[in-house]
Amino acid sequence: MSAVATELSGTKFFMNFPVTDTSHTLAEYRTRFGYQALEKALREMSPTDVTKEVAAAGLLGHGGAAFPAGRKWGVVKLGDGEPHYVCMNADEGEPGTFKDRWLMECVPHMALEGLIIGSYALQGRHAFIYIRGEFDLAYRRMAEAIEEAYAAGLLGENILGTSYSLDVVLYRGAGSYVCGEASAMLASLEGKKGWPRNRPPRLTVKGLYQKPTVVNNVETLANVPVILRLGAAEFKKVGTPKSPGTQMISISGHIARPGVYEVEYGYLWTKFIYEDCGGMQNGKALKCIIPGGVSTKILNASEIEGVTLDHNSAVAAGSQLGSGGMMAVAEGTCMVRLAQVIQRFYHHESCGQCTPCREGMGWMERILNRIVAGGGRPEDIDRLYQISQANDGTTICSLGDSAGYACSAILDHYREEFAYYITNGRSMYDGNLTVDDPFASALVEAMV
Amino acid sequence: MTGLVQRLIPEFEVWKRRYPAGFDGSLSIPALRRIQEERGYIADEDIADLTAYLGVPRTQIDEVVAFYTQFTRVPLGKHHIQVCHNVSCSMRGAEGLVKHLSARLGIKPGETTTDRQFTLTTVECLASCGTAPMMMVGDAFFENLTPSSVDALLTELKGSAS
Amino acid sequence: MSDAVMPVATKMLDFAIDGVAMQAEDGQTVIQAARANGVDIPHFCWHPQLSVPGNCRICMVEIEQESGDPWFDIACNMPVTAGMRVLTNSEMIKTLRKDTMQFITLNHPVDCGICNKSGECMLQDYHYELNGAASLSRDPKTHATKFFPLSDRIMLDNERCIMCTLCVRFTNEVSGSKALGAVNRGDHALIRPAEDADFNLDVYSDNVIDLCPVGALLSTELLDHARVWYLDATKSVCPGCERGCSIDVWHRKHEWKLNALDPRLNTRIDRVTPHENPEVNGLWVCNKARDLAHLFERPRAEQAMQRGVAVELAVATTTAAQLISAARRPVAIVSSWGSNEELSAFHTAFGAKVPAFVKADHLPLPGEVIEDHLLIKPDKNPNRKAALALYPALPERVSDALPADTDVVLVWGEGFDSALIPLGAKVIRLNSYAHADNAGADVFIPVSAQTERSGHYTNFAGVVSAFEACFPVKPGIVHGEALFAALAIDVPAGLGA
Repeated sequence: MSAVATELSGTKFFMNFPVTDTSHTLAEYRTRFGYQALEKALREMSPTDVTKEVAAAGLLGHGGAAFPAGRKWGVVKLGDGEPHYVCMNADEGEPGTFKDRWLMECVPHMALEGLIIGSYALQGRHAFIYIRGEFDLAYRRMAEAIEEAYAAGLLGENILGTSYSLDVVLYRGAGSYVCGEASAMLASLEGKKGWPRNRPPRLTVKGLYQKPTVVNNVETLANVPVILRLGAAEFKKVGTPKSPGTQMISISGHIARPGVYEVEYGYLWTKFIYEDCGGMQNGKALKCIIPGGVSTKILNASEIEGVTLDHNSAVAAGSQLGSGGMMAVAEGTCMVRLAQVIQRFYHHESCGQCTPCREGMGWMERILNRIVAGGGRPEDIDRLYQISQANDGTTICSLGDSAGYACSAILDHYREEFAYYITNGRSMYDGNLTVDDPFASALVEAMV
Repeated sequence: MTGLVQRLIPEFEVWKRRYPAGFDGSLSIPALRRIQEERGYIADEDIADLTAYLGVPRTQIDEVVAFYTQFTRVPLGKHHIQVCHNVSCSMRGAEGLVKHLSARLGIKPGETTTDRQFTLTTVECLASCGTAPMMMVGDAFFENLTPSSVDALLTELKGSAS
Repeated sequence: MSDAVMPVATKMLDFAIDGVAMQAEDGQTVIQAARANGVDIPHFCWHPQLSVPGNCRICMVEIEQESGDPWFDIACNMPVTAGMRVLTNSEMIKTLRKDTMQFITLNHPVDCGICNKSGECMLQDYHYELNGAASLSRDPKTHATKFFPLSDRIMLDNERCIMCTLCVRFTNEVSGSKALGAVNRGDHALIRPAEDADFNLDVYSDNVIDLCPVGALLSTELLDHARVWYLDATKSVCPGCERGCSIDVWHRKHEWKLNALDPRLNTRIDRVTPHENPEVNGLWVCNKARDLAHLFERPRAEQAMQRGVAVELAVATTTAAQLISAARRPVAIVSSWGSNEELSAFHTAFGAKVPAFVKADHLPLPGEVIEDHLLIKPDKNPNRKAALALYPALPERVSDALPADTDVVLVWGEGFDSALIPLGAKVIRLNSYAHADNAGADVFIPVSAQTERSGHYTNFAGVVSAFEACFPVKPGIVHGEALFAALAIDVPAGLGA
């Protein structure tokens, strides 16, 4: 996978160099300010200074929730005699999201540098990178980066000759979406099944091995060296006042030019879709957008008119930027079938721990399967709403809520498609999810 | 302990050096991955040996093996084909891809060919949405698939299988 | 055990539940504080002595906000804060509970008619209390394993299971066997025993049957054996070891006495469950207590005898009294299963006039756990502590207690071999159970068993616990207290000295 579009205007922190077979290495990273921020942190800044700088920059989490990273770090009390852990969340599993994969394949050292700086700020002796088990190249690139860092004295005992020491474990998951949720991730890091747990206590109080732990997304940590290098004030000049910096957006679906883009917060959404991404596949009209992974509420084509790509605008428009995993859906796509595919995913990934999600996910999928099979009942729409509502805020982690948001947002926008399907036993459209199915002809051939 | 786990223990011991002391249980997932890499699946004896080595309750390992989709307790075909059929891939033809593979291999998702060369599985998002439709064969990603690229790959895999 | 361990000087917080002002200890969760104030918030997965997974979600409560925005959370994991205003029955909470009950029964078979848990099932209770509506689902239920043997003793029905994980946490946190886990995901998740562990080896395993809020874990012995609404519990004490755990002995209610069927079913012990007693056993008992029916329902001694020949109880009592009063060197072997009342009656009757020694009626059985971290104690007799307060222990060399010129030996209870008695001595035996030595005694008198009388035992730590009679005593069998009073004839002083 390579960098797709660099012609998109605006500041870029990550996609600002030509990706080659060697651009991910330590040597080449050093030609792009690599590890200068770490030098600065270790030699010129106290751990508290680092946290203050990150907080002053207003860096928001890039994993989906957009929680201020500096504030998360600031909760951990230095000198409390407890070990502290920083964990990089590289379990990128939110459907439609593949920007962390790009960061790890193309600039693995950047996130690693951020992890080392973050661990220094929290005075951790051990740090973890939890990478999803299915990743292959990203895993190898990250593993290679860690070994290069050890060899160069950037990890291990007495980093850069200072008194600060840090070990980093690259931990590979083994197939579980819910492990992207921080508490489930920590359970997994402890070698257990990935069941999330209730708060309180917060993970910053009792996290990994029952010790204060900060979990940050890959992109969040990759921003840290940028902030230290530029300084919080310069960093804040990029993006919007409330969403400083840039957002890595991975776009897929019925879009002409899918891929990973780095967008300065505040970028006009329609410009991004229709110009930078080349509009829709085969010149189709845009039906709707899933803005930031399937867990965010869909917006239809008119709802993104005039909206800019930053957290506040996305929320004002009725959704969220989430993980930056954007999916574009073309006119003519059957939303009942789309909802079915989304719900199959949530059902598959529900961990089975808490009641509403464990039972609700399968129930929703069974209802959608029945509708798609032509056996829909008039009360099904209300039932889907009710199950969604009953998962809203009632579950241990946000998987159940997310499924509910996804489903109810589709119902809000396209209720008539569901009603049609239920009444007529077939889709309002052709029931396909594709605009241009490469396997359409092969299917005909297979059937013959 | 005489089997595979015994042979892998020196590797596990090296891994331990980067972990905080006293949390050997953390090694369960990496160790199980390594075991599966060697054996192709996780055998009963591996679980028993790993339980003993890590000093964790057997239930912890049983739960882990059953929870994570990448682990298998039974041998799979030589080539494990995992097709993503999540939203983006479905929008780009994953459903047709699955049918195409089923027709070519003569098996349904979840099955293994009688010659034990191929196992076909459908999986949820592999973070390759921009290059959909895609599938994983073993550890490797194959993206932007078309009928001809899939057929060429299958021919190549069948060649390597014999 | 979270309930018991609270900081010494506890700060108290003012808060309110449903408008009623209350106080909570700082650090208590809403569910704990509510309970301490007599308010029961519905719960499946929460347990006062186990960790808090917060998975069932039925204990959801609303917190009134100044802003008026709705805020709800699970009561089991939310610490009380000063001034908190909790609502347990607001419209929002009622709706959430209804929804949660819909989810819980979604894939549950609702086969109450054939379920042993019927009548004492929390799912049934909460269904009527909190929901009451029929299932809204029109789709087939998921299926899972039925009749999965978790051990020789316990049957698991995964379809009835609601995944509260109480059983898993019990084996992890209380019994320590760590023999149970939860495998798979979503609505395919299953409780399973560890593949190498033998849940049979967990001597506390049956507690998970009581813990299970639904009919998922059932005793194989009780399966289809009795409906709970025909049963009554009588408070008792387990005689299995010197811990003396408080138990409930379940048997058929008198008003539901069977006349046409086998009348023995009316005096059968249907099951034994723990009776909460923080001083002795907390909430648990070991499997030995569960199996007390086997101990109590051994073949009984029901007929008084003289050298094996059946006689009237009164005749045997008179003969025994005569033997004791005429004896020059009598010795008594005292039971460590006698109640405090029986021991006291015995002591009043014979005092220091008859030298007496306390024996162990029961020794550990082969393979039995001698002692453990939780409840099991090494002495397998319930009341040796009280007996030893009155009399010395039987010396290891029994002949030291029974010199050759002993002329009358009174043996009370089990576990004393007649071969140990000097030749020529007359033998009086008192026993509740059939034994070959009974007929060999010069006088044999059948006495009541624990389930037929009331009394007290003093456990190893000196805690006195009461037990009640479950069944009437049969004619021809005498209570120890009455018998000792009858035998208490005026023994000339110094006779036994």
